[in-house]
Amino acid sequence: MRLLLIEDDTAVSAYVARGLTEAGHVCDVLADGQDGLFQAMREAYDVVVVDRMLPGLDGLSLVRAFRAAGGRAPVLFLTALGGIDDRVEGLEAGADDYLTKPFAFAELMARVNALARRPPVQEVQTVLRVADLELDMMRREARRAGQVIDLLPKEFTLLEVLMRNAGRVVTRTMLLERVWDFHFDPQTSVVETHISRLRAKIDKPFDVALLQTVKNAGYMLHAPR
Amino acid sequence: MRPADLRRRTAFRLALGVTLFVLTALVLASTIGYSLLRQQLVARQDARVTELFTALQETAQSGDQTDLIEAVTTRIKASPSRTTVYFLRGPEGKVLASNIPDMWFKPGWSTVEAASLHVATDYPYRIYAGSVGVYALVVGLTDADLDDLAEISRSAFAWSALGVLITAVAAGAVIAARIQTRIDSVEATLHRVAQGDLTARLSVSSKGDDLDQIFSAINHALDRLGGLVEAMRQVSADIAHDLRTPLNRLRIHIEAAAEAEAKGLPTGGDLAAALAESDAIGQAFSALLRIAQIEAGSARQKFTPLDLSALMETVAEVYADVAEDASMTLTFHTPGPAFIEGDKDLLTQAFANLIENALRHCPPGTEIACDVSVTDTGAEAIIRDSGPGIPEAERDNVLRRLYRLEKSRTTEGFGLGLALVKAVADVHDARLTLAEAHPGLRISLNFARLSRTA
Repeated sequence: MRLLLIEDDTAVSAYVARGLTEAGHVCDVLADGQDGLFQAMREAYDVVVVDRMLPGLDGLSLVRAFRAAGGRAPVLFLTALGGIDDRVEGLEAGADDYLTKPFAFAELMARVNALARRPPVQEVQTVLRVADLELDMMRREARRAGQVIDLLPKEFTLLEVLMRNAGRVVTRTMLLERVWDFHFDPQTSVVETHISRLRAKIDKPFDVALLQTVKNAGYMLHAPR
Repeated sequence: MRPADLRRRTAFRLALGVTLFVLTALVLASTIGYSLLRQQLVARQDARVTELFTALQETAQSGDQTDLIEAVTTRIKASPSRTTVYFLRGPEGKVLASNIPDMWFKPGWSTVEAASLHVATDYPYRIYAGSVGVYALVVGLTDADLDDLAEISRSAFAWSALGVLITAVAAGAVIAARIQTRIDSVEATLHRVAQGDLTARLSVSSKGDDLDQIFSAINHALDRLGGLVEAMRQVSADIAHDLRTPLNRLRIHIEAAAEAEAKGLPTGGDLAAALAESDAIGQAFSALLRIAQIEAGSARQKFTPLDLSALMETVAEVYADVAEDASMTLTFHTPGPAFIEGDKDLLTQAFANLIENALRHCPPGTEIACDVSVTDTGAEAIIRDSGPGIPEAERDNVLRRLYRLEKSRTTEGFGLGLALVKAVADVHDARLTLAEAHPGLRISLNFARLSRTA
């Protein structure tokens, strides 16, 4: 995967670039907003990661200019402000996802992966499949090995998010945002509780467990190798 | 005070303005008074001419020609300086008695210049020409008296204007000086405040006038500002103090890892602990920042109508399973939709914080009840638990940032959950109440309800 990281904090950019390179990706780093925009327009990247505070051109303006100029690469917006409005502003400017600093590398990696392989919008899948687990979006029904599984509405959404990202790590924070629309960090085990309920329904009665816990990162649904 | 400054002073400008206004009023009043007086004088002059003419007419009717000529001649003699002029012509056109040249006079009233009557004066004459039987009689009176009166009234105006001007300037100066003294004291006090002395206050006199009311209001604002700054100082000190503990723990873990590294021992455990500690510090900062942002009140601009019942049900649903895993029960009841104006994200977090507080601080077996109750004008969200509760004396304190009850010092957290709830309640103009639930704690948030039509 080819990534562009526009970030002026060298400690952060060096850390992220090293991690991405170690994970087998190619990562270009630029510290200036103007240079970053120019580079993002010139090359085709799979994901562009933009910091909010940048010299030359601030992150919000950069994303707006990038979208206005027809830039189509997914953008992950980094913000240190952790504020109420920053998320909305970033998304309104044209970013596809946002991440609040300080962040764990696993969180950044999970979000970059999710963005890079996000299917084009027009390809609406009506049935999601992972091994023998099926999620019928039209009938709002889950089946495993042909057996219908009774899910609560939120459990259905949770499973949908996991299945759409099958084979990739989905972090706790991503689940909180996408399933429950929680934009804060709960102090109790909300995610763990609901994951364990879901697991009891989709994995427990069957031989092979599909839903894995990835230590220090999140959860992953994938077919056994 | 330099003269250049004088023009910028409100009090001086006020005094000047009042003086100019009084003068203008005086000029206007004098002009009207003078013209009325003059009208009156002209009327009286005409009346006097008519009187003289009538007297001579009567003489003519009661006597003969000699009597009339004698009467006119006597009158001419009585007016040697010709302030009164007479002219009597006989039926044959002969001048019988006169103190002015022979000339033609317009019948009735007319005003004639002194020069044409050969009288050495600047004032014109008021003339009445008429017939007395077969005679033509002309009687005239000089305007000199009239003009003297006008002169008197003009000088009276000038003197009174001067008097008014001096009085107004003096009074204005006194009033201006007194106001200026008080304004100067405000300036001096506010300068001290600007220098950072928040204890400076304006002196309020016992008169209770409008300036005193303003001064009281300024003092009140200074009290509030002082309180807020003090609270802010306190919060900063609290933050520095409370974050020293986790920062110290972070340091200990890093040191331990460095030591282990030097001895060739595994460092994973210490580093994981350090990571967890730094995450906790990051969360505390982000919570503090969030509270500060909520208090800044910008969220209000993005308020939308929302159903309090639906929102609370969603949160209760999320935590019902968490409660079950902690061997507690969480129930939700509502009489139906309750629409309020608010920010969905903030309210979700506030309710989540309240439920999480109950989950974290109550023993297994606790019942947590979430309810929405609706009145005509209000909607109330209630979260009640059957746990240990909060002592009455502590209920205000727990809403403060970084405040933690002694018994909860050992559990994790920074004491920011309720402070955030309070900030969210305030930005929504909702009343946050903590009460005893016998047993346990009852926390309620009272919102203003949107009317059905809204």
